[in-house]
Amino acid sequence: MRIGFDVGGTFTDFTLHDTDAGALHHFKLPTTPADPSEAIAAGVTALLRRHGFEADALRFIGHGTTIATNMVIERRGVPTGLITTQGFRDVLEIGRQVRPHLYDYTVRTPEPLIPRERRLEVPERIDATGAILRPLDEAAVAAAAETLASQNVQAVAICFLHAYLNDAHERRAAEIVRARLPEAFVCTSSEVLPEFREYERFSTAAINATIGPRMERYLDRLLGRLAGLGAAVAPYTIHSNGGLMSVETVRRFPVRTCLSGPAAGVVGAAEVARQAGIPDVVTFDAGGTSTDVSLIQEGTPAFATARLVADYPVRTPMVDVHVIGAGGGSIAWLDDAGALKVGPHSAGADPGPVAYGRGGTAPTLTDANIVLHRLDPMALLGGRMAVDEAAARRAIDTAIARPLGLSVEAAALGMIHIAVANMSRAIRSVSTEKGHDVGAFALFPYGGAGPLHAVPVAMECGITRVLVPVEPGTLCARGILLSDVSLDLVRSEIMPATEAAWPRAAAYLAAMEETGRAWLDTERIPAERRRFDRVIDARYKGQNHEVQVRLPDGPPDRAAFLDGFAAAHRREYGYAIDGHAVEIVNCRLKAVGLVDRPSPRFTGGSGAPQPRSRRQVHFDDGWHDTPIYDRATLAVGASLAGPAVIDEMSATTVLPAGWTLRVDAAGNLILETAARSSASGDAAHRETVSRETAA
Amino acid sequence: MTALTDPIAMEVFSNRLLSITEDMGNTLIRSSFSTNIKERKDCSVGLFDAAGRLVAQASHIPLHLGSLLGSVQAVLAHTPVERMRDGDCFICNDPYLANGTHMPDISAVTPVFIDGAVRFFAANVGHHSDVGGPVPGSISGRARSVFEEGLRLPVIRLVRAGELDEDLLAMIAHNTRDPSERSLDLKVQIAANARGARLATDLVRRMGLSSVQAAIEDLLAYTARRLRNRVRAMADGEASFTAFLDDDGLGGDPVPIRATVRVQGETLAIDFAGSGPETRGALNVPESALRASVYYAVKALLDPELLPNSGLFEAVAVTAPPGTLTNPRFPAAVGARSITCNKIARALFGAFAALLPPERAQAASHDVVPAIIFSGPRREGDGPFVYLETMGGGMGARTDADGMEAIHVHLTNTSNLPAEALENEYSLLVDEYALVPDSGGAGRHRGGLGIARQIRATVDGIVFSVRSDGHVLGAPGLFGGHEGGTARLIRNHGTDRAEELSSKTASIVLAAGETTRLETPGGGGLGDPAGRNPAALARDLRDGKISRAAAEREYGPGLVARALGEASAAG
Repeated sequence: MRIGFDVGGTFTDFTLHDTDAGALHHFKLPTTPADPSEAIAAGVTALLRRHGFEADALRFIGHGTTIATNMVIERRGVPTGLITTQGFRDVLEIGRQVRPHLYDYTVRTPEPLIPRERRLEVPERIDATGAILRPLDEAAVAAAAETLASQNVQAVAICFLHAYLNDAHERRAAEIVRARLPEAFVCTSSEVLPEFREYERFSTAAINATIGPRMERYLDRLLGRLAGLGAAVAPYTIHSNGGLMSVETVRRFPVRTCLSGPAAGVVGAAEVARQAGIPDVVTFDAGGTSTDVSLIQEGTPAFATARLVADYPVRTPMVDVHVIGAGGGSIAWLDDAGALKVGPHSAGADPGPVAYGRGGTAPTLTDANIVLHRLDPMALLGGRMAVDEAAARRAIDTAIARPLGLSVEAAALGMIHIAVANMSRAIRSVSTEKGHDVGAFALFPYGGAGPLHAVPVAMECGITRVLVPVEPGTLCARGILLSDVSLDLVRSEIMPATEAAWPRAAAYLAAMEETGRAWLDTERIPAERRRFDRVIDARYKGQNHEVQVRLPDGPPDRAAFLDGFAAAHRREYGYAIDGHAVEIVNCRLKAVGLVDRPSPRFTGGSGAPQPRSRRQVHFDDGWHDTPIYDRATLAVGASLAGPAVIDEMSATTVLPAGWTLRVDAAGNLILETAARSSASGDAAHRETVSRETAA
Repeated sequence: MTALTDPIAMEVFSNRLLSITEDMGNTLIRSSFSTNIKERKDCSVGLFDAAGRLVAQASHIPLHLGSLLGSVQAVLAHTPVERMRDGDCFICNDPYLANGTHMPDISAVTPVFIDGAVRFFAANVGHHSDVGGPVPGSISGRARSVFEEGLRLPVIRLVRAGELDEDLLAMIAHNTRDPSERSLDLKVQIAANARGARLATDLVRRMGLSSVQAAIEDLLAYTARRLRNRVRAMADGEASFTAFLDDDGLGGDPVPIRATVRVQGETLAIDFAGSGPETRGALNVPESALRASVYYAVKALLDPELLPNSGLFEAVAVTAPPGTLTNPRFPAAVGARSITCNKIARALFGAFAALLPPERAQAASHDVVPAIIFSGPRREGDGPFVYLETMGGGMGARTDADGMEAIHVHLTNTSNLPAEALENEYSLLVDEYALVPDSGGAGRHRGGLGIARQIRATVDGIVFSVRSDGHVLGAPGLFGGHEGGTARLIRNHGTDRAEELSSKTASIVLAAGETTRLETPGGGGLGDPAGRNPAALARDLRDGKISRAAAEREYGPGLVARALGEASAAG
């Protein structure tokens, strides 16, 4: 038995893998923000009981969590101190000296994570070769520790210049601080992230420190709850790079979980897409307030090394996820110059769309979908939630349709077209930034609102194929069951990629492999299930940013690396320069312990598709009498032609005319069209408008 | 209000058009080689209609706002549409012959032919790191005419009907210090336009020319309408403000820049009468850069999310008397115009403050683009380096908030070079990178703090230059707020050899162990300092952002005592 759960902002999702029967079971409970382990325990208990298992039958427990991210966003970290190199206490506050918005001065740089009074300097200096220019003043460190103790800090980050090359001063300072502040959480920049560029490294270490103590308390509660249930295995946590790590690692490096949930979803998507034989996809995870987009090529997610969390840089290997500020709750409004806008404000979950009757008064994208009957105008969530279509119509009529002189349907359609145009522009930009033609990818929608808008977004982006996974609403929990155990290691030293320097790079890789092997031992991963992925970040001399070059297996080979660098540079930037000197910046190694992946048997319905019901649905060219299918009744191999609507508990897939659908062996819905153009939708919109103007 | 033909189509097409410029911008940045374009993103792209109106722009620095418009107009004046051929691409940079903003900014303009007629122009501009002339980088505050500022390019048809003029390209490239980089980046600029042309053609093929054109008309009308609504909400009347440059680039007295803003109903007119004469040094501002400064200030103060297109431009009238530094005559030098542009923004922010609702007003910021330039042998000994960095400073206070510390303001927003990166590359050591205490102008809300950067030469023969300002006059406060701290440039700070240097220091030679320290200005305060929240003052005292002595001088001993008393009572 294996279980995965993902603690989201609103819901905690569970997926239980019955390894004997080869079946997957899904479950959902509201998250309990005060103590997330409460909902976890309740959900695990309920799911096990429902299927007749005991907790000691669990061979694997994996979880994703937004706790770290939420602590940073809500600034709930503990009072923290910084000890740093003399002359550099303000690095955390100056950052990169840029303002966050070019024109809007009310958009501010974030408050520094650690206030200036708790940022203390000590004499010490290491240079860019790792040599000690000035020895560490240990008395000054002790004095700084005393000062921080008097300020009641609960965590201390120790961040010295060039510590990525030589961590001796940081380690010694940490010893001194631990001796004087035995209760405090202490971390050094070189253990959290031994990479060069001080602001990003210091910021990552500072975040790690501020969230460390609370993360420990959360883990203790979680361990207690699971032990109380009788679970015999410790839970793994998914990190930002889509791998699993043990409780001990999370305790030391909580910052590595900053992107835990979205990473699990992307890992799940990559695996589902690969198994479906559609290895190049753009993921489109549309929720209530925002939409996450990522690129997956040849079954492998795009990775990044840094991003902002609540405006603070976090540098750690991570799945490259882009957030678009548009979702089902995005509010439509008219500005004072006559334009119709959708977002960036969102009604979110509370008060939510008008049609949900929970106090929302502003028309949202979800209301538009209800008015057009793309969403069931009577009830959602498998009938558990009543919907007030009339209220949604009134809201759109008053706020949008009448001021613009349009029918309610034309206004609702316009809202959707605008939201789709916004989201599509963001998707295209994410792709072209990396030099990809998005039309060559399939769209992989999940999350509550993904499948609903998938086809219009695909059409606007020139995408002709859409893959809707089973249970699109719980893909993150499923992704955890599809993840491997992994640890990311890095060594940073800028060196020429010459024959003379190459042995140094090889030595770093060998040393890291040794560390990785020892770690896999502690994770009790057998030798035949181990893999070491080696990557070198490199650049042309004179450049200031790197591309990642994956090394082939076997002894590190310089010629193969240089070829790989040229290919990677060409892929990322469209050219390579023969003969130009190449510089190595970081050597990375990812130690991977492969886990058993579930290949659950999909048992769908049988026979030819039978609609559950029919209703009038408004597509881009007007109302159509449309069959509504219950997804669970569709058999493997079944196919349909649009217009049609496919309902399941957590999502609705809308299939317009001109698109076909088939159910593949794993139960995925594969939506396709022959035409690569969005002209039809647009022309239809204009017809709708002109007809109404004429009438 | 004139109704839009189809607001839904307008919004949808606006996204599609912006997508084209974003794609062009991504192509340009991704494929270019030079650090300036690839990493500093000192470039912009735009899509224009056949009449030369800007339809959509992806701009990474405000100094390019609308500056491509000048290039497209220069191209149209040089070659009428009927003499253009499919596959042509024009380039230009000259401020006097082709509406350029300064010589390193080279524009590329490509007519987009659809079914045999020019329907759009795809255009982009990139800052080339060198275009020849006496100094590396081609910018010197001390240049006395454009003939000292590198290669002058009038409108030149570099690609004729798809055929690149390799001879001409070689001639241009070899008049610069890095011919291969110049040549590569120019080719990338041409390619980025070709990409834009293809995408614009695709859009017309899918949607039809008439619907694209209808949406563009709506979009430009909408943008102008939206800005006029913001203007109508301002008080009618006229307000002026004078900002000063410390000197004219070669020394002398402070040079005034006077902006007058006139609002009548929904018309907005901006004039620069009263500004000082052309400067002897390269601080003059050609028309395109002046317009960019005005459009930037209008957008920042009235409507930060307003789309940059010709609708914005048509709603603002800009005039400047010839012969002033705001409207220089040939051949006045213009290379260092960005310092002046930020002072123009100061004058505009100051003048607007009198006509805006108080919550939109903002005290003056540091308003400098202080550039420090080091050159010498690389650390690894493999050839020489040139390291240039422009530093941030304090932002002015607003009615509801202190100014941000240590940021770039107005027309630039470039990131620093990390100390660890700098020390890896160059024979330099960063001694200190810190906020400057006491540099924020006092007020109910205080100005942001400036930055100190102290750098040590680790070998003999490091050559150091600086182009800075604000060493004489600090950022003025607003509504009773005090002036922010001034800039200082010190050689060998904290030693018995310490000496203060001028803001336009050129080519001094440092021996190993010598240091230079630039402290940039803070922002101006807003409101009477006596009204400052004691808790905020207490926090600044605890944080060492203000010294006890300065606090007592600026805020009064009474308020300081209250702040400390309340802090100790609370603590």
